[in-house]
Amino acid sequence: MVRFFKELGHYLDVTVHVIKMAFMTIIEYPSNIAGWLISNPLQFIMGFAIIKFVVESFGQINGWTYGQLAFLYGLSVISHALSMIFFVQGWFMGYFVIEGEFDRYLTRPLGVLYQFFFTNINIFGITDLIPGILVFIYGCVKCHVVVSPLFVIQIIIMLVGATFIRGGIYILLGSTSFHTRSAVDFGQYTQEIMDKTTMYPLSMYPESMQFILTYLIPIGWVSFYPVSSLLGVEAKFSGLVIPFVTLAVGFIVMLIAGAYFNFGLRKYESAGN
Amino acid sequence: MIDVENLCKDYVLKSKEPGLKGAMKGLVKPNHKIIHAVKDLSFHIDTGEIVGFIGPNGAGKSTTIKMMSGILTPTQGQVLIDGRNISKHRKEVVKDIGVVFGQRSQLNWDLRLGESFELLKHIYQINQKEYDKILDELDQILGIKELLDKPVRQMSLGQRVKGDLVASMIHSPKVLFLDEPTIGLDVSAKYALRKFIKEINKVRHTTVILTTHDLGDIQELCERLIVINNGVLMEDGNLSEIVDRIAPYKTLVVEYYDEVAPEHTRCKLIAQDGNVAKYRFMKNDVTAAEIIADLSKEKTIKDVSIEETGIDDIIKIVYGA
Amino acid sequence: MLKKYLYVIKTQIIRSMAYEFNVYGNIIMQTIIMITSAYFWRALYKGQTMVGDVDVDSMLTYVIMSSILSVLFITNVERRIQNSVEKGTVATDLMKPINVFGVYFAEDIGNIIALVFQNILPIFIIGSLMIKLPTMANPKDIPLFIISVIESFLINWLVAALFGMIAFTAVNIDALIQVKKHLLRLLSGSIIPIWFFPVGVQKVLEGLPFVYIYQLPLSIYIGKGSSVEYLSQMRIQFIWLVVLSVVFFFVQNKVIRKVMVQGG
Repeated sequence: MVRFFKELGHYLDVTVHVIKMAFMTIIEYPSNIAGWLISNPLQFIMGFAIIKFVVESFGQINGWTYGQLAFLYGLSVISHALSMIFFVQGWFMGYFVIEGEFDRYLTRPLGVLYQFFFTNINIFGITDLIPGILVFIYGCVKCHVVVSPLFVIQIIIMLVGATFIRGGIYILLGSTSFHTRSAVDFGQYTQEIMDKTTMYPLSMYPESMQFILTYLIPIGWVSFYPVSSLLGVEAKFSGLVIPFVTLAVGFIVMLIAGAYFNFGLRKYESAGN
Repeated sequence: MIDVENLCKDYVLKSKEPGLKGAMKGLVKPNHKIIHAVKDLSFHIDTGEIVGFIGPNGAGKSTTIKMMSGILTPTQGQVLIDGRNISKHRKEVVKDIGVVFGQRSQLNWDLRLGESFELLKHIYQINQKEYDKILDELDQILGIKELLDKPVRQMSLGQRVKGDLVASMIHSPKVLFLDEPTIGLDVSAKYALRKFIKEINKVRHTTVILTTHDLGDIQELCERLIVINNGVLMEDGNLSEIVDRIAPYKTLVVEYYDEVAPEHTRCKLIAQDGNVAKYRFMKNDVTAAEIIADLSKEKTIKDVSIEETGIDDIIKIVYGA
Repeated sequence: MLKKYLYVIKTQIIRSMAYEFNVYGNIIMQTIIMITSAYFWRALYKGQTMVGDVDVDSMLTYVIMSSILSVLFITNVERRIQNSVEKGTVATDLMKPINVFGVYFAEDIGNIIALVFQNILPIFIIGSLMIKLPTMANPKDIPLFIISVIESFLINWLVAALFGMIAFTAVNIDALIQVKKHLLRLLSGSIIPIWFFPVGVQKVLEGLPFVYIYQLPLSIYIGKGSSVEYLSQMRIQFIWLVVLSVVFFFVQNKVIRKVMVQGG
């Protein structure tokens, strides 16, 4: 137990330092900040406007009002942003595998996956967070949500779980490159699929697809199930426990992803052979 | 200190046929081939040794050193550092090793050099006192302190190598691995690197294992050589021993006043260029003095010199060139 | 001269085929996206036959053809420019006896030819089997469709190349490439046709080049509008093509001169 906390302390200490370094790096290249500050919010503000246009053309989407969609969209973007901050490197794992960039992580006394994500932490992801929070607040207002401490806790729990689910999926996809030895990055595709399945109600898709996205590739837990339970729309699963289910699903996905990553790492070949 | 036992490493290689047709074929039915990069390698290294790995490109020396430092997982066999298996207890064992891998730097490109060391200080949990002490010590060998505030991206290759050397030693490892450390360096940077290796070996008794193509590195640094070819250990021993075993001969160069060079029964005339003739003789069979005495009876000699068999001849012989 | 570019095209085809995993991975990912989109539109159309003058069948055709066009519009030119600037090979690249932008163009063409077999055909077959056969509404408009696709391709390439050229100002263009990608994704009608947008927004977007990349050829394909309308839109498309070409050659000459003076 003591050892566990000592270890945890070590990781926290390194994390704090690494975040400090990430900020220093940003300051080193000020011209990049402007680009990301425009690029990321632009994407989500436009995406949100388009949902509005679609709702206006079609009346509603599977029984969801615009306010409820905003709530769903906002939370989806927030967990997306968090996954961009902590796990976006997963998209580029193929590059790290081919170029032998894991060498340095393997020769240091910390978890390889931890170093991979945290020494490359993407502080710019914060620029995704802002539009997400704005749209979410807009959704809360439109849905007349009562903001109680319980509500806040539920939201935080589900966001942690949702971020883990997303991150786990990035790791699973990225780890395939240990076996394929290909630097291809499926990030763009992943995001497009995630957008369609987490920013709109999952219930609009056929049963078979809902089944897959609930039990096999648990994207449904990223936003749809927790939100439908919180708002009481089409709640297939409901109750206070739902955000915790998301968290549990997040842990399970992460565990599987970590195991698959470690399995792949045994086949790691470094570069130049 | 280090035990390498029956180490093997296989790679799966996708072979491709040339041209558009080959590309199509690879798409439908990729060809897989297993390459045995390292085959059943065993040896032992003691504390404080400096061991050089030599062998041609693709001989398996990088693969071996990468298995020894925990980067690659062996297909078979094991690497024990201080009795602990590095692939099973990676996080524990790597605290005792430092790594410098040729052109791959572990320094943060965007920030000042000091930041990279600070990060390592946190990763290896070095306290401030220890950290200052080791930095002082390394500064005396390499003069690193004047570089601390310089962004790594603005450094020369030589300065970056210095930075990487310090980074690899900052946690006072017992073993230092270097893979082609002198590649691309100028003379003064090479000199600094060799001095560094000798110093840390002498003062801190750090065990040093390096691969190199640079004969100077070997002559300057390595008491012991391990020669690998095709993934197999060809030679293991100190430099002069190996030379005696592989090439137990010397070359006598004699200059005459004309172009007629006499033969000698106990040595071989291997080359003649104008007035200069080269004789090869076995070291344990005959001495140069005897040969010179015999030859001078037949012709007047203008000048003589003796060529020792060098490490480059050894490499040529081992590489089969 | 042309032979050199043909050689580049051929090399690129081989290079693109070298990684079978990329090929199959891309097909799987694109198929998932396409099928998800199809369900998305089916769900929206539940209980309605016509929205914005388009029925669900036409919308599904739109989805399949949009997936196919998106493969056709993959460019690498912006990355290539960025790399050459970052690695400092710009000067030598620009001095070569062969126009480096021509090489990038040839590479992109080669890539697309490889993709015809690797992606477009599989996507077409999978789309036809799992969604519907994407038949063209009015076969007499085929010439218009083909011409508009070629123009779309060129406009798309020029926009990409121009964004890439920003790298010469020594600004990191990662974020800008993202901006371009988002603009293209959301404002070109590639995912959601802009006829679902409010009229005011539509008017603005019709003034930008993006809709002429995806939505115009797709509209012709599904028969939304009349031949007269197509022709008038294709006139604007052509104007954009000319304007972007002029800007491209202007910028290219400026860049070459700048690099020559500074020596990279």
